[in-house]
Amino acid sequence: MTPQTHNPYENLPAPGNAHSDAPGEAEETLRLIARLPAPSGLEDRVFAGVLAAPRRSRILTWPHTLGADRGWVRGAAAAAIVFVVAGGGWGIYTHVQQPQAARIVVMPPRVGQQGGFSSAGAMRTPQTLRGPLTVHPIKAQTQQATAAARQPGRSTSPRLRGVPSSTQGKLAEPSGK
Amino acid sequence: MSTSQAIYAGWMDIPNSAAGDAIRTQAEEDALALLVSEYAPTLYRVAFSVLRNPADAEDAVQEAFLRVLRHRDTLGEVRDRRVWLIRIVWNIVLDRKRRAKTRPETDDVAELVRVLPSTGLSAEQVAAAAQHHAHVLACVEQLPAKERQVLLLSAFEELSSVEIATVLGITESSVRSRLFRARNLMAGLLNHARSSR
Repeated sequence: MTPQTHNPYENLPAPGNAHSDAPGEAEETLRLIARLPAPSGLEDRVFAGVLAAPRRSRILTWPHTLGADRGWVRGAAAAAIVFVVAGGGWGIYTHVQQPQAARIVVMPPRVGQQGGFSSAGAMRTPQTLRGPLTVHPIKAQTQQATAAARQPGRSTSPRLRGVPSSTQGKLAEPSGK
Repeated sequence: MSTSQAIYAGWMDIPNSAAGDAIRTQAEEDALALLVSEYAPTLYRVAFSVLRNPADAEDAVQEAFLRVLRHRDTLGEVRDRRVWLIRIVWNIVLDRKRRAKTRPETDDVAELVRVLPSTGLSAEQVAAAAQHHAHVLACVEQLPAKERQVLLLSAFEELSSVEIATVLGITESSVRSRLFRARNLMAGLLNHARSSR
């Protein structure tokens, strides 16, 4: 399929019949503006303006006088730039001291006797009532069993079945005093 | 190879050397002068159709050629320089129009009376015609941007639908459908304005 190369306005009515339809009016106006001649002396003014304008893209281009074949000049320039940048960075790194962290932690002074909070005249009252005494029967029985085990005659007594070990010592003792 | 093509080709082929510097500058100026004299009027009309201000349109044309100078290395790859330049100036004027939205529109009748041709018409006829054109242009401004752009570019007889598609970066079928919608919208706007009078 070949692309159509004619202007899409070609099939429109002639400008004389433009008042017959609304789009024709708009297109007539736009055509009128599109056909307006350029002001005289436009080319000269534009050309002079372009030549007078600064060519910003040339600022960073490589100067032609050095030539493209002198690669060693570019290499030396690049090395010099790298040297200056690296040296400057190293100089800054060595000259700037980093703040060291404090090793001694200084505690704030405690509030003295005169200052700070006071007891407001309150007196410590000692505990005058005795609390309930805690009895540890298991501990006492264990001590008795240990003492019995130290006696030589009682260690060989036969064990009683069905009797707790804590009471075995009591049962084995002779009843008469 | 035509003269202009030879100059453009010579612009590209000048070697980078100390002796070639002066020659290169001269060749650049020659090629630029040729481009300006060949395409500046067309670019001006395209710019004026959007900006509707002679000074702004001239500035846009100058900026377009400055961009050409900046991208002169790619000029050899351009197939159709006319469409390429129109596309450049089109982008510039759209950008300017977007930035200058706060400024008052220059579609006033007095400006149109000054600009539009008025041979063989009385003063009243000129004033009435200018008023009519100003009203039509105000309706064009109410169109959506896509439709308005196609309508504006279609008014240039030297631009085909394929070239309009290239300038706008769309397909040719999109150009046709947008133009169809633009015409329908314009008909609605103008009929509504006529009935409300």
